[in-house]
Amino acid sequence: MKFLLPEIRHDLKGFQSLVSLEAETKDCIFDEIDIDMIATSWFDADMCAAFGAILYRLGENLNTIRLINVCTSVEKILSKNGFLSHYGREKVPDRWGTTIPYRRFDVKDDRYFADYIENELIHRAEMPIMSPGLLKKFRESIFEIFSNAVLHSRTDLGIFSCGQFYPARQRLDFSVTDLGVGMRQNIQDHTGLILSAEAAIQWTTEGRNTTKNGPVPGGLGLKLLREFIDLNGGCIQIVSDAGYWRRENRETITRPLNYSFPGTVVTVEINTADTNSYKLVSEPATTDIF
Amino acid sequence: MKKELTISIFEVVGSPLCVASSDGQKIYDRLSAAFKDGRSAILSFHNVSTLTSAFLNAAIGQLYGEFNEEQIRALLKVKDMEPDDLALLKRVVETAKQYFKNPQRFDQAIQDTLGDEGNG
Repeated sequence: MKFLLPEIRHDLKGFQSLVSLEAETKDCIFDEIDIDMIATSWFDADMCAAFGAILYRLGENLNTIRLINVCTSVEKILSKNGFLSHYGREKVPDRWGTTIPYRRFDVKDDRYFADYIENELIHRAEMPIMSPGLLKKFRESIFEIFSNAVLHSRTDLGIFSCGQFYPARQRLDFSVTDLGVGMRQNIQDHTGLILSAEAAIQWTTEGRNTTKNGPVPGGLGLKLLREFIDLNGGCIQIVSDAGYWRRENRETITRPLNYSFPGTVVTVEINTADTNSYKLVSEPATTDIF
Repeated sequence: MKKELTISIFEVVGSPLCVASSDGQKIYDRLSAAFKDGRSAILSFHNVSTLTSAFLNAAIGQLYGEFNEEQIRALLKVKDMEPDDLALLKRVVETAKQYFKNPQRFDQAIQDTLGDEGNG
């Protein structure tokens, strides 16, 4: 079968296009699937995490996937970040160092993921100079997203990540995708609460809500991320099941998607020019913690 | 009185990046064993650069499921923590207290969500 992929930007429309691809191909087994990218004139590199996850699942169903008619500019960026190496192309050196490579991790690869973040993000000479406070919060946020996927997705298929730095816009985009059960199902399984997909995303980012019910408490990761992005002036988008959630400028929008994503995508856009110190006004005393 | 135990998180995790729940579990196992033996413990965060709530929930948050607040306050001390890491730990502790105090927590969360929707 053939699927015509339009341009993919990291926004609602981009995710709608990716879930359409998922919907059209999800029942394919032992098939040959050509993703025709003749109309893909733009591809936001961080969306490789979600795109790659969909294609990986197709591969798990023993399909043969080909990416055809990839235009030069898209081929260049997706070769630099190593995405197209998974589909028969060679990796191209990233001369300006603006890509954060596409990778797939198993849920037990937390050390490997940590090394990837340190080597490909934090200690890269090409990365923007961020204040120490911002760098620390940024690093914590990335790990919170990965931990969240590990703890909640219940996936065997892995966790996918990719990013892109835009020096002129002073923005850094980073995306983590899992092929797990999704937030709506997770909430239903653990609490019995039946929510729409977009309400389920909202639920996970608010108050004391958590799906954890074992001996280890939880439920803070996405709230911390949301608070950081509010201060930083960046943006978070979450896609899970057939829900889309976006927070920017301290405002949240939610939308239903036409089809379901087979897991959860969390994508953050960091304002790298942020000069907030992230120092606390009052420091808690060590004697006042427990 | 039994000797106080000092646990270097860096030594147990083997990295300045204390981000994984599974690494937090290793800290919890040591703290739990010490407390059950009636020993107090000092957790040193020296050389730790990055912490997540997932790590702290496993390492410290889950103590509140096994020990009461008075016991933990008496037996556990932390040192060498950055102020913002202390603030994160305090939030983790507060969340853990709520989590273990209120067995009906999900019901309340459900009510909260339905209430929000009703008002929306």
